[in-house]
Amino acid sequence: MNIKKRSRGKNIIRGVLSLCILLALGTVFTGCGQGKQSDPLRWVTYSASGPPLDAKEVIAAANDVSREKIGVTVDLEFQPTEKINLMMASGEYYDMVITSSWLNPFDKNAEKGMYYDITDLVQSETPALYESIGKYWDCARVNGRIMGIPILKDMGAEQMYRLNADYFEGQKGMAIPERLDGFEAVEPYLKAYKEDHPDKYPLAMEKGGPAGYMNFLERIAGGIIVIPYEQDSDIPQAEAIWDCEELMDRFRTLHRWYEAGYIHPDAATIDSTASDRSIPVRFGVAWKGYLGYSDPDYWGFHVKTPSYEGPFLSRQSEQGSMIGISAACSRERAIECLKYIELLSTDRKFRDILAYGIEGKHFNYLENGTVLTTQAGVDRYTVNLYLTGPVVNASVASISRDILGDPDQWEKVYEGYETEGIYSQTRGFYYDTTRKEQIITALQAIYNDYSAELRTGTSDPDVVIPKMRKRMEAAGFDELLADVQEQIDAWFEE
Amino acid sequence: MRGLKSRKKGRTNRELLLFSLPAIVWYVSFCYLPLFGIIFAFKDFTPKPGDPLVKNLFVNSPWVGLKNFSFLFLSSEMPKILFNTLFYNTVFLILGIIIPVFLAIILAEIHSRVFSGLVQVVMVLPYFLSWVIVGYCLYGFLATDEGQVNHILRILGGSAVFWYQSPEYWRFILILTEVWKSTGYSMMIYLCAITSIDRTLYECARLDGATFLQRVRHITLPLLRPTVATIFILRLGSLLASDFGLFYQVPLNSNSLQPVTQTLDVYVYQALMMEANFSYSAAASFLQNIVGCSLLLIANAIIRKLDADSSLM
Repeated sequence: MNIKKRSRGKNIIRGVLSLCILLALGTVFTGCGQGKQSDPLRWVTYSASGPPLDAKEVIAAANDVSREKIGVTVDLEFQPTEKINLMMASGEYYDMVITSSWLNPFDKNAEKGMYYDITDLVQSETPALYESIGKYWDCARVNGRIMGIPILKDMGAEQMYRLNADYFEGQKGMAIPERLDGFEAVEPYLKAYKEDHPDKYPLAMEKGGPAGYMNFLERIAGGIIVIPYEQDSDIPQAEAIWDCEELMDRFRTLHRWYEAGYIHPDAATIDSTASDRSIPVRFGVAWKGYLGYSDPDYWGFHVKTPSYEGPFLSRQSEQGSMIGISAACSRERAIECLKYIELLSTDRKFRDILAYGIEGKHFNYLENGTVLTTQAGVDRYTVNLYLTGPVVNASVASISRDILGDPDQWEKVYEGYETEGIYSQTRGFYYDTTRKEQIITALQAIYNDYSAELRTGTSDPDVVIPKMRKRMEAAGFDELLADVQEQIDAWFEE
Repeated sequence: MRGLKSRKKGRTNRELLLFSLPAIVWYVSFCYLPLFGIIFAFKDFTPKPGDPLVKNLFVNSPWVGLKNFSFLFLSSEMPKILFNTLFYNTVFLILGIIIPVFLAIILAEIHSRVFSGLVQVVMVLPYFLSWVIVGYCLYGFLATDEGQVNHILRILGGSAVFWYQSPEYWRFILILTEVWKSTGYSMMIYLCAITSIDRTLYECARLDGATFLQRVRHITLPLLRPTVATIFILRLGSLLASDFGLFYQVPLNSNSLQPVTQTLDVYVYQALMMEANFSYSAAASFLQNIVGCSLLLIANAIIRKLDADSSLM
């Protein structure tokens, strides 16, 4: 009898355990692979800090319009990087996702077959969209096929300094030209400020380094290998960062500035300098006519933004923001996605909804055709334009009624790319990392041991780089470089 | 009579089982089920969009053997990284026993309950701070320009130290921080063990003329041994794992400090932060756990040889 009882007890345990396992397995298996063919398109875009407060309301307003015009609605989600990576890696269902050279890597995912091949569909179903993107389709081609939709925005990187004009021009009587002659040309301004304020640091610097300081190079494997834009040889040559004199000089300049006290001594450990608005010199990457750096109400002084190099156009810069359509989409779904993006690219009023919110509540149109956001817009719906569709088709924003945006800004910017743009020789080339992934991962770890102090000027490149080089060579750097060059040669022959 | 007894026993078991159900569910779903993730370490994980995870893992991804482990051994710094990991963990293991036991013994001698309670609260408090906060508090002391320590150095006529670029101090700083943060919590465990020791033993010893030190040596320490052994064995299991927050957040990921702050977890993070490669991270943690598990079993076997009562299994 005792034995019987005990075995019943055992059965209960067994029952409980198997129930738990069933329950847990259930949660693992459901949750994935569901939700196909539900009506609105699941469109996942990026936001580090979650959706803007009025996102639901704005998306509903946009859906009302698009439902009427093309019969398509979207469910737009704002997700952080980790969520997007996880979604891609776990095979979760989505229709459209943000993809780029810096977030949710386009080349790698496209190579793996994660995105829908839209080469034929985009030409036959949405010719207006195809037309609008023109030569920039090249950056979305992988093995000759179009695997994503480039978002038309600033396609090149124009490097600029953001200077306190009230101080430098007003108090010191120093002229700030439209264009500074190179990276180092800002030095007199730094010097002048330091002389007046010996306890302060005139150049804003955070551990990420100067914004876009490597944009003058094509970068491979996270910037360990670079391809200079202008070269003597016919076939573009990849080289190690330590062989790139221009970059090394930039590191040396930064270190000189660090020693001179222009850069905060702890810069390599500082996450952000955004809260200290008194800093008179900052780096910026933008385009001609960009006003986002210039709000005097925010900064407490007038800002002038002389450019110092660029605009640089490379595969990476053109891939600044793209939309990928999931390879798991049906043909009909893919067409719906394309139609939706076409509408965003052709209908300005519609585009302005996802860009700025609801007219009258979040923003108003000004007489010159630009947009002025209201306080509600600033507080409750501020979204980077490149996250919700083509930037060039959204209205240009003004800072205030006094500082108006130029409604023809984008025509000028794109003209500038044609006339002044510095194009990389390897714009169509992308490096397939799969063969050397272990080496890249190991090199990445080594690079991260030095990079923050190099790009903030904290360490002396002539001391640190040889150490880094030695470690990298031991981890298989030369093998990687040879592989990169091999792929460049093969691409160039085609 | 016998029947009644066993029926009663069955019912209490059932109730106890019900009580432990949440814990069982938790362990099954968060500790046992994810074990299948080990497979990631041996696969080249290539998911197909729209397919469920299980199909992506088992069907869509090819087996690659030990290839995913190789990135760990490509770094010429690996010996140093392993040394750092083992060095800090060994120091923490030893100090994490000596200091809390020492403090627990002293605290047990304090008769004022208010004072004793106050000391406990103050000592446990740091345990609940996150490393990010601790990191920035420390920055308040060590910042080159505005930091308190450099202020004092300047007042005393010295020159400012670039703390975040001076690796020579950091072994000490890290150990100090870890001890400061964890001591209170481990001390509580030993304090509980000490208070559960039969008081009459101490009284007898005192009547026999034993001094305080003799009582500690012959009563407290021997009776604490099983607790110490248990904690020792458990901590040995994570000898190759390191507290990421301590080694990454507290030094603010300063490059110059990397020779003394880089442990295995930091290395894996540095290598994989650019892109999410599940196979590589699975390989790294699998390796850590294999080493941890073997160390745990070895230590347990040794302790069983020495003192069977103190071992775990």
